[in-house]
Amino acid sequence: MSRDRSQYVIVGGSAAGMAAAHAIREKDARGTITVFSAEADMPYFRPLIPFLVSGRKQPAEMALAGCGPYTGGDIDIRTGAHVSKLDADARCVVLEDGSCHGYESVLLATGSRPYIPPDIEGIDTEGVFALRTLEDARRMAARLARTRHAVMLGGGLLNLKAAFALLERGVKVTLAVYSPEVLSQLMEPEDAALIRQALDDAGLSIITGVGATGIVADASGVTGVALNDGRALPCEMVCIGKGVRPNVEFLDGSGIQVEEGIVADRHTAASLPGAFAAGDVAVTYEPVTDNPVMTALWTNAVEMGRCAGLNMAGHRTAYGGTFGILNATQVAELPFVSMGVVHTGNGPYEVHRKTTATTSRKLVFNADGARLVGAVFVGDITQVGLYRYIIREKMDVTPFKRQIIDHRLHYGHLLR
Amino acid sequence: MSQPKEIFVKTDRCVGCRSCIMACAVEHSASKTLFGAIAESPRPKSRVYVEWVSPDRKVPLVCRQCEDAPCMHACIAGAISRDADGVVRTDTDKCIGCWTCVMVCPYGVIGRHLETHKAYRCDRCPDREVPACVSACPTGALVYQTVPDYSGAVRKHASRELLNAEGG
Repeated sequence: MSRDRSQYVIVGGSAAGMAAAHAIREKDARGTITVFSAEADMPYFRPLIPFLVSGRKQPAEMALAGCGPYTGGDIDIRTGAHVSKLDADARCVVLEDGSCHGYESVLLATGSRPYIPPDIEGIDTEGVFALRTLEDARRMAARLARTRHAVMLGGGLLNLKAAFALLERGVKVTLAVYSPEVLSQLMEPEDAALIRQALDDAGLSIITGVGATGIVADASGVTGVALNDGRALPCEMVCIGKGVRPNVEFLDGSGIQVEEGIVADRHTAASLPGAFAAGDVAVTYEPVTDNPVMTALWTNAVEMGRCAGLNMAGHRTAYGGTFGILNATQVAELPFVSMGVVHTGNGPYEVHRKTTATTSRKLVFNADGARLVGAVFVGDITQVGLYRYIIREKMDVTPFKRQIIDHRLHYGHLLR
Repeated sequence: MSQPKEIFVKTDRCVGCRSCIMACAVEHSASKTLFGAIAESPRPKSRVYVEWVSPDRKVPLVCRQCEDAPCMHACIAGAISRDADGVVRTDTDKCIGCWTCVMVCPYGVIGRHLETHKAYRCDRCPDREVPACVSACPTGALVYQTVPDYSGAVRKHASRELLNAEGG
């Protein structure tokens, strides 16, 4: 095939796109694969970018090529290539310069971008970041020299990771969180208590229940943040971590079904022939509730991207869907995992909580108590993979429910 | 390509002596001797586990080297890969201790090394012909064979049982 046509075209060169490309290559040694990536950098492990800010890793150490499952060859990756349009009738993608690239099948894996609240004045000021790309991390690192105090807007995982990277560089960090507690997307305030304590002990300054109204600036860039409680926090850097929005604008007029994200069926196919969707930009389903779900997690994007790649290569593969919440990490010496239904409120769930001085856990069963639907573990995350498996397979947990509640479950219990 | 060998577990043969655990920890110590391993800090870690199920069943658990290994695809740092022998390995230098692999392993056989803040798992003892746990097992509950050899032995055993039942 000529250079302006490929058997497989992948729009987006991050987790979903590259996982798909390598899955295709596993099954089809010869089909031409072209990846269009809007970023200037070759594909890299996006979750590692806070390490560029902390100084622990250099960009070369974050490169995807050759690492883990990313060992397939002969994948044409075009960086700095913005796809501006999808012409499904002509089966081609149109690039920003107007050139077309034809495909037999296309994966739409354009990911997401940070949500920037429109109501904060002066948000375009120099020194205001939303850490999303390697380039963002470079610019953030470049401003470290003139930064004594950084204000993070939003108490999610991304901002926490950025906050710790800044702490490591000796920057004073204040987290301004609109919710009553940090990590509100991943757990209820009660379940975040130990983490909050650890964050406070680590030297983070946290203000909850506040939002920013404006950025204060002079010629050197940002000099402070105005909060809605009347306070102004002097600072030289602001980092916005308020979630992400899918990159779907290039699909305007394409006729493809978009409902916030690109609607994908159980086999990762989008609504037009030959088109597939995966990753942050795709709407998939939640296996417990069957509800549509969009997530912004590397691990999910890889899993769905791989599945899409297999389908594109002609190996019809169903995608198992993903939990709306699925996260593991460690902040301030404290590991935690949150998965499935974790915001129980007064909902129809059977909830079991156990808290010690150093650990806490919450196990959420459905109303009749026979199925596990969610779990939060803080401090002790031993063998938590089993719980994900049990939730996802909707297993009847009656024979080993006691072991789940006591967090003593092991694989032996699942053997008949 | 020659068939790779796998570690098979015969749960009915396990008596729960934990010799495999001891041997694994020693093999993954700096000194590789029991005497030396006990004194080492951080304490060497076993990558094989023996669990107990009521009323009295012992279940040795070890990494299955999954064909479509969830840990390898889930890793956000590119630290987990499959080597030429089919063994799934964690590159300790690349591991950032985010525990995503722990979250997705359905067998619960990836450990967290708290002192080094790294994940650890079975590496099939790259310096040995036969993995230490298998060598140490006194009852033959752990078997290191190729899939055809193992399934052949199972078939042979089953046919013998059948013949016996028929009074042959």
